[in-house]
Amino acid sequence: MALAGRTLPPAWPLETFIAVNPLGGLEHLPFAEAIAEAGDLLGARGTLDESAFRAAHADGRITDADLLGALTRFDPGSIVGQPIDAGGRLLDPAAVLLADLLHGDPSPPPVRVRRTLSEQHAPEVAAIVDAQTAKWCAAYVDEGHAAWSMPDRDQGFYTAWRMLAPRDPSLPSPVRHRLRLLPHRPEDAALRAMADLGIGESSRRHYLEAHLSAVPGWAAHILWRSEHRRGVDLVELLAMRLAYEAALLAEHPLATASEGEDSPAAPTPTVEDRAAKALAALGVEPAVGLAAAARVLERVSVAARSTVWLDAYEAHYRDLLLERLAERAPTLRADRAAAQVVFCIDVRSEGIRRHLEAAGSYETLGFAGFFAVAIRFRTLAGSRSTAQCPVLLQPRNEIDERSAAGTEHLAARRLAGEQALASTDEAFAAAKNDLVGPFALAEALGWCAGPLALAKTTLAGPYGVIRERLRNAASPPAPTTLTVEDGFSPEERALFAEAALTMMGLTRDFARLVVLCGHGSGTENNPYASALDCGACGGHRGGPNARAAATILNRPGVRGELAARGIEVPNDTWFVAAEHDTASDRVTILDEWLVPETHRDELHRLSADLTNAAAALSAERCATLPGAPRSPSPERARRHVRARSTDWAQVFPEWGLAGNAAFIVGPRKITRGMDLERRTFLHSYEASVDPDGTALETILTAPLVVAQWINCQYYFSTVDPGVFGSGTKTIHNVVGDIGVLAGHNGDLQLGLPWQSVAEGERLVHEPMRLLAVVQAPLDRIDAIVDRNTVLRHLFGNQWVGLAARELTEAPWQRYTSHGWTPWNSRR
Amino acid sequence: MDRAGLTHMTKIEVVISGRGSAVVRELFRSTGATGYTSVSGISGLGHDGFHQGRLLFNEHDTLELLITVVPDDRVDALLDGLRPLLAESSGVMFVSDTFVSRPEYFT
Repeated sequence: MALAGRTLPPAWPLETFIAVNPLGGLEHLPFAEAIAEAGDLLGARGTLDESAFRAAHADGRITDADLLGALTRFDPGSIVGQPIDAGGRLLDPAAVLLADLLHGDPSPPPVRVRRTLSEQHAPEVAAIVDAQTAKWCAAYVDEGHAAWSMPDRDQGFYTAWRMLAPRDPSLPSPVRHRLRLLPHRPEDAALRAMADLGIGESSRRHYLEAHLSAVPGWAAHILWRSEHRRGVDLVELLAMRLAYEAALLAEHPLATASEGEDSPAAPTPTVEDRAAKALAALGVEPAVGLAAAARVLERVSVAARSTVWLDAYEAHYRDLLLERLAERAPTLRADRAAAQVVFCIDVRSEGIRRHLEAAGSYETLGFAGFFAVAIRFRTLAGSRSTAQCPVLLQPRNEIDERSAAGTEHLAARRLAGEQALASTDEAFAAAKNDLVGPFALAEALGWCAGPLALAKTTLAGPYGVIRERLRNAASPPAPTTLTVEDGFSPEERALFAEAALTMMGLTRDFARLVVLCGHGSGTENNPYASALDCGACGGHRGGPNARAAATILNRPGVRGELAARGIEVPNDTWFVAAEHDTASDRVTILDEWLVPETHRDELHRLSADLTNAAAALSAERCATLPGAPRSPSPERARRHVRARSTDWAQVFPEWGLAGNAAFIVGPRKITRGMDLERRTFLHSYEASVDPDGTALETILTAPLVVAQWINCQYYFSTVDPGVFGSGTKTIHNVVGDIGVLAGHNGDLQLGLPWQSVAEGERLVHEPMRLLAVVQAPLDRIDAIVDRNTVLRHLFGNQWVGLAARELTEAPWQRYTSHGWTPWNSRR
Repeated sequence: MDRAGLTHMTKIEVVISGRGSAVVRELFRSTGATGYTSVSGISGLGHDGFHQGRLLFNEHDTLELLITVVPDDRVDALLDGLRPLLAESSGVMFVSDTFVSRPEYFT
């Protein structure tokens, strides 16, 4: 059963939506094999369909040169060779291959091969099994949101279900009787059901995969619950499904079927058919040269055509990006920077970095937004703590927010306000869920609910401003500190400081102000809000991490330790925390009260420049946001994105990480001044301060891995939104805090909603695999890849492309399983 | 070595990636092992080459050593589960005789 679930990705609950590669369990396979496997298992498409690629070719987004380059990489011998004699006309093999790519019958859609007995022979039974699965899973995982919780829930899923299912009046009496006789252990129930269904031992795994792939959303979420010990595992899910199927099929007249048969796949065009079509497209009589053309096409199967198209689609973007990066002449800074601002590597940071650098002599850097402090954070209100770190890590340090010395009365007022607001929300929710309460609620508040809803809808901007003022009046801000002394030992603080500064290449030339700027996204009525927050902070806002990191880096003891390790931070350098709201483009300086008087004027100048840079970024974003003014002034753009972020009916609050395509590891000077269109993760790195490669190894094995998960989430949610995405937001119903259903029942929806990757039929996210671009010695990269299986899989199996050069002047090299080769742009 | 008073049992050691270790732990539990020892971030040289040890910000992709000790009558069930698991992923298993002083801890 564990093996059957290995191809599934764990699906995190919505409140901490974590991007994952939906095919993460198949990363040990080359990409092309993995998507073929996913096609068989889930009936899922692994690339855009050929008609979309052909449309991109017609638009010039893919050129013939891109296709020829991709064909060469796929099979170096495919486009060379003797010309084909087609009745006196000589045709290059390349021309035949291009004709097949452009005009051949499209590859048949993938078909889910492994199906359950009931799916094959009694679809109505399969529908009941799926409906029961959805019903009981939703009841169990509700997490207390429903007014009535599942009885005996505390005894675990299988036990609770086993007690309730035999009383289900929607099932026939004989079926209920069979359910009443189920064993106590789910393992035994599953084995008994498979025996009843006639599933032999050798077929069990595929049969279990068939059941899991019938409800991949629920299965993926239960896998997450299993890994996090949340009361249910895949064995229990499978036991329930198999028990239902066996009991229902026992009463079904078609229950005589034998073990699972593969479903018929659509026919694939033969190579002769393809050759005839390609020759016809070239204006050649198909009978002439057919055999020779067929031999050419044999080298690139119909299934392989999609990956050739994908490679060409990616190459067009990648070649241009690397050409632009090759043209960059490094600019040397003469004076001390006015400030250094460290942003998250998130692609959205690229825009504000670019605009801020244009506003003054600022330096910006990129670093994973948890700023190397893997903390569990509890706010002043003492609500439950959040894990503020990438999911690759367990939080190592507990950090609490406390009132600053001498300001306890302010903190008490803030807390009282927060509690009052929370109590009001709870009372409202309780009244809604009560049997009689809704009537009284309508009588008492109905008169104002309508106008309020109208204001929220039509005057989202002013409504948001008023609400924020009311909140601040009820719960005014109070200065607080973080308990870094309790949470980190002195050694940990010094180690963190050294690792963070070395990884971002900031070990000298410190400015007087160094700002650590985390990010989050303020949106309304958005179940996917955490998908827009910081992935490096576990789907939370990054402010607490920036505050903790700045606090540590300002400690005199830490500065002393850093000096002992060769990193001299000047006494006049002060680290400041900040947070960028990527929906409203508001940048907030955090803990401003801690900044010394000597640095206040500079901070205010920086703050003003950040505001202007954010407004310029808002204007840039408006050009692509649906319904936004197309060429607004920065001030109008600022008002628009703020109103948008408070609009409860807005399905496009921001584009998130749509468009992400590359991960650049190197000094900022190689990208500074370049408009990268908010499509690149930017991680600062200076190879010269990392001679043993430790920092680079950390970058490639952690931030790159998280970026690849994000990239794959966007990729697969775009190429097959029906399987890997969660469909349109407009029909989503939220289940607890764990996921959404499309409509009122069915499978839990995986991945991103369509409105995160497209507007109507138009794709906003171009589904390409990530390209890692690294400026570092090639032998250092080789050594790191060789000793890390995860990197061997990602780069060797083409889940991530890798381009590298040692120095800015050197040509880009391409990583292949046979070694480095010149990038060889064919543009 | 004097083994008088000790009880014979079987020790099973599994080296597997952090991603796959949850499945092995669950297998230990479901086949009746009463406990296990885990060592994360281990390094070493195998047939796939050298494997890096502890990574600074990734506990997911490093190798983990899981050790359990079970009475002989539970070994076959555990091995039946581990064999197909290791056939499909990188990882190794060592099975050896061992002796314990407190057998009640392991049954």
